Amino acid sequence: MSNPKHDKGEHYLTTPKAEPFLERLIFNNRAAILIGFLVLTLFLGYNAVKIQPDASFERMIPLEHPYIINMLDHRNDLQNLGNFVRIAVEVKEGDIFTPEYMETLKQITDEVFYLSGVDRSGLKSLWTSNVRWVEVTEQGFQGGTVIPDEYDGSATSLEQLRQNALRSNEVGRLIADNFKSTIVYAPLYEKNPETGQPLDYGAFSRQLEEKIRQKYGATNDNIEIHIVGFAKKVGDLIEGIGSIAWFAGITILLTTLLLFWYSRSITGTLVPVFTSIIAVFWQLGALRLLGYGLDPYSVLVPFLVFAIGISHGVQIVNAMAVEAAKGFDAVTAARLAFRALYIPGMLALISDAFGFLTLFFIEIDVIRDLAVAAGIGVAFVIVTNLVLHVLIMSYLGISKGGIRHVQNHGEKQDRKWRVLSYFSHPGVAPISLLIAVIGLGLGVYYKQNLKVGDLDRGAPELRADSRYNKDNAFIIDNYSTSADVLVVMVKTPEEQCTQYSVLRAMDALQWELQNTPGVQSSASLSDVSKIVTKALNEGNWKWFEISRNQTIINASIRSAPSGLINTNCSLTPVLVFLEDHKAETLQTVVAEVEAFAEENSNEEHTFLLAAGNAGVEAATNEVISKAKDMMLIFVYGVVSLLCFLTFRSLRAVLCIVIPLGLTSVLCEAIMAVSGIGIKVATLPVIALGVGIGVDYGIYIYSKLEKYLLEGKTLQEAYFQTLRSTGKAVVFTGVTLGLGVVTWIFSPIKFQADMGFLLFFMFLWNMVGAIWLLPALARFLLRPDRMLAKARGAGK
Amino acid sequence: MATSLMCKTLGAACLGLSMACASPIAFALEDVIDKPARPTELAPESLLNDVVRAGDRIVAVGERGHIIYSDDEGQSWTQAQVPVSVTLTGIDFSSDAKGWAVGHSGVVLHSEDAGANWEIQLTGIRAAELAIASQEDAIADMEARVEAAPEDEKGDLEWALDDLYFSLENMQADLDIGPVNPFLDVWFGDNDNGFVVGAYGMLFHTKDGGETWQDWAPKLENPQKFHLNSVTRVAGGAMVIVGEAGQIHVSVDGGDTWERRESPYPGSLFGVIGTGRVNEILAFGLRGTLMFSSDLGKSWSMVNTGSTATLNDGMAEDDRVVLVGNGGTVLTSGNGGDTFRDYVRADRQGLMSVVPADGTDLLMVGESGVTITDAQGKNLQ
Repeated sequence: MSNPKHDKGEHYLTTPKAEPFLERLIFNNRAAILIGFLVLTLFLGYNAVKIQPDASFERMIPLEHPYIINMLDHRNDLQNLGNFVRIAVEVKEGDIFTPEYMETLKQITDEVFYLSGVDRSGLKSLWTSNVRWVEVTEQGFQGGTVIPDEYDGSATSLEQLRQNALRSNEVGRLIADNFKSTIVYAPLYEKNPETGQPLDYGAFSRQLEEKIRQKYGATNDNIEIHIVGFAKKVGDLIEGIGSIAWFAGITILLTTLLLFWYSRSITGTLVPVFTSIIAVFWQLGALRLLGYGLDPYSVLVPFLVFAIGISHGVQIVNAMAVEAAKGFDAVTAARLAFRALYIPGMLALISDAFGFLTLFFIEIDVIRDLAVAAGIGVAFVIVTNLVLHVLIMSYLGISKGGIRHVQNHGEKQDRKWRVLSYFSHPGVAPISLLIAVIGLGLGVYYKQNLKVGDLDRGAPELRADSRYNKDNAFIIDNYSTSADVLVVMVKTPEEQCTQYSVLRAMDALQWELQNTPGVQSSASLSDVSKIVTKALNEGNWKWFEISRNQTIINASIRSAPSGLINTNCSLTPVLVFLEDHKAETLQTVVAEVEAFAEENSNEEHTFLLAAGNAGVEAATNEVISKAKDMMLIFVYGVVSLLCFLTFRSLRAVLCIVIPLGLTSVLCEAIMAVSGIGIKVATLPVIALGVGIGVDYGIYIYSKLEKYLLEGKTLQEAYFQTLRSTGKAVVFTGVTLGLGVVTWIFSPIKFQADMGFLLFFMFLWNMVGAIWLLPALARFLLRPDRMLAKARGAGK
Repeated sequence: MATSLMCKTLGAACLGLSMACASPIAFALEDVIDKPARPTELAPESLLNDVVRAGDRIVAVGERGHIIYSDDEGQSWTQAQVPVSVTLTGIDFSSDAKGWAVGHSGVVLHSEDAGANWEIQLTGIRAAELAIASQEDAIADMEARVEAAPEDEKGDLEWALDDLYFSLENMQADLDIGPVNPFLDVWFGDNDNGFVVGAYGMLFHTKDGGETWQDWAPKLENPQKFHLNSVTRVAGGAMVIVGEAGQIHVSVDGGDTWERRESPYPGSLFGVIGTGRVNEILAFGLRGTLMFSSDLGKSWSMVNTGSTATLNDGMAEDDRVVLVGNGGTVLTSGNGGDTFRDYVRADRQGLMSVVPADGTDLLMVGESGVTITDAQGKNLQ
């Protein structure tokens, strides 16, 4: 922790001549330190280059939540329930009953069969022998494969095929309701049984694109391919991470241009960019050394680190230019800049880091990884910005153009700052406060609609108009399936999972759920038993009931899908298909299941939540709702405490923190209005926004205090503040904004959401610091008392 | 169209009910035979197995103890109070007010108020006890016969006695499990006299409106205890029961004695109706089988339906005959059942029963609940 009073009894601002120990240490060993940094950069840079993308499912879910614990405890029992891809082969003109379509479907089926990772025994399409039609006759069952054995593409065999399809019970499952597409269903192995290697989602997804979509969809105008499934989604996410490289390039370019426009100095432009990139390399290298990869969340951290590096670097460049304009040489200018900035700079960066660390309250690994990555990044920025940057500049100096820019700029710019200084005027400040109160009111009003969780249909990680979500919508529209599945696990003693009482209990739960809003349908062993009991009684619907006779039950579930019974028959799932994954839907359904479980769990059957994507989301939402308030309290607590320790004044804390609070409220209101829920991706934004946003306030306030202590009036002091640091603060806001704004174009929806919200928070926090802080200062600060106190302490 | 309208109205009607029942009551899971049917908006869209008219009212029964009734030709439905939540299979009314419904777990339910409230008259436990009692009587008879029989006939009789013992053991084993077997149909001739038929040859008779029941199965020649699927009375007063494996039984004395008829078809028959003309019977079942008799089943002619789907139930009024079956099959005849037109509904949902509705429309129930169609079974415009 930084102690602002580095010398006993002396206020750091009233004793500018003192040479702090740190300053001496750094400036007396410039060359040695630079060489040290070079070695470090080579070592960490080497590691940074080798970092791998990594989108592990487990890291994105709250592992400590009881639902997830239950799910992972029983993951072997639930194998293959969720990991499959469905490939819909759509015909554009005509229907599926043509020889051309059937030939294409056959080729695709064969192609999928040979994809590595596919569980071939479970592969299903019209062309596989496990897809059959069954009919009851006087002698019992009669049936065959849907594609007749003697199929030859003739009109007769196609007609036979059509009839088989109709009586096969696959309409709505493998065959679309409108007969314009059919599905190839491929269950996947989590681990390849031959090699033991885990499934490589990225490679698998690329195979699907190349060998299926490109080969059959792109080359044939009449065929379109739609692919959905967890593996495809993860594949698309990994693909999405790749596009980040473009954003990085654009961000660096934009920032460099802006920096040059700002400093008009080659060194003042390239050195901050260079040192910030160094910080990014250090951060990535350190991450790899700590065993992390780049997931879709932490891949964003380098942007933040870069932007933070630049925005603080600007303060150094600015200060050096001002000192150099006074005629000091490069080394002295660098020393003075360091001396003026190392306290507020360090404070700002430390509060950034603490802001990130509050993310640890969210019990989800990706977010904690994000916190670690960002924390490490900021720690490095402290070093690269305050040491490396300053040292390089002490050798290179600010180029002449930059100094001239500062000198010339003075008079003309002053008028603008003069106008802005009226924000602290006694006549203007109340109006500002009124506007702030109105803004707060509006924000509080609109943020009532703020929802937890993902609000859009389809895969929330990807954009609504992404190909994956379009494919998903196609399948939802044409088949009787839902993409949102909640799995309730029913645990029984061994070999008891098919008992009458268990099936009855599941049936009762299912009926309660089907009567719950948001539930589309449900499925379990009890449905299988009823359907087969009916079938065994010559297809008579009057027998559609769970028999009390265990022998009949056993016969009825003999050919139940393997996923419905685990190996020792101690676990059987209830699959609940939901209409959507909105937080209310999940909450209602989960509450219903919990109430049922509470009443009806006993030695014979225990109902456990939850697996399935909806189960994971329900758990995630719960964790996030709980973490949200804790995180806000903590991040504001830490920031306030740091400000208090630095400025030793509650009033100062209020001046700095109130504008942040307003921004946070407005941010939530914007989320509510634009339909962005609080979720794994957007919750960190609040912490990041506050942690980084406080920098502006710290820089402004520290200058303002300095001028007030020199005895200036509030407005004059604020004018001087704006003149010296205002420009840098505005610039900081803009660079930070630029650092994240490119994410808006990310194919990954949550990255876009994060980018949009951070962009708003970074810019608006800057506005808050320049506009609202002085108005608050007008009401809260007592310049005469501050002066008296400082003088008293100085004596 | 009609369905959605109907559901909305029913939804409004049921909302109050389901709200009232939403408060959690901490009971262990009750047996379906003790658990009242849950109020639900979904009943008209869920499986319904039978539908009848009781005057102006239409009443249907289905899975989970659902009994629903409509006073506006099926446009809106109200769910009745039912004390069980077993799958119900059949329903019949002897007058506008008095009705009986049967179903799984051997339940017979009775309503005195045109189907709004129901109470249990018989359960599978009592039914099994009655059947066991008459089996024991049969055994006692047989033992006496064995005792009295000459030596050379004893062997056969002892075999028969063993069969009776074996069958009794089965019945007792079933009873140990609980009320395992379902009733499949019910028919009441007046407020007092009624019959219920069911699985494994179950047949029970009441002469006092269901106060007491008698095991009537021994009156039928059904040694293999095949399922009995349907019971009705045809014009002229004769009664007919049909069932599994071509079972046809006819009674001309109000059900006191029954005669087995030969069936030209060995497969299962699921339904039987009269045509409205004296002694004419239409029986139907598996694989689109439809047979016609004009002499109370002594002779039959097969009617070509053009369908291979199982036929479940039907209705006849004047010269119009409508039969419904699995896979959305609707067969209509305008000439008293001589020839039929085959129509397969696009949704291919199984149809279990049909009654006349508004005008010439039809109201069908089945796999996906209530459907109102035009006279041919097509969707209303």
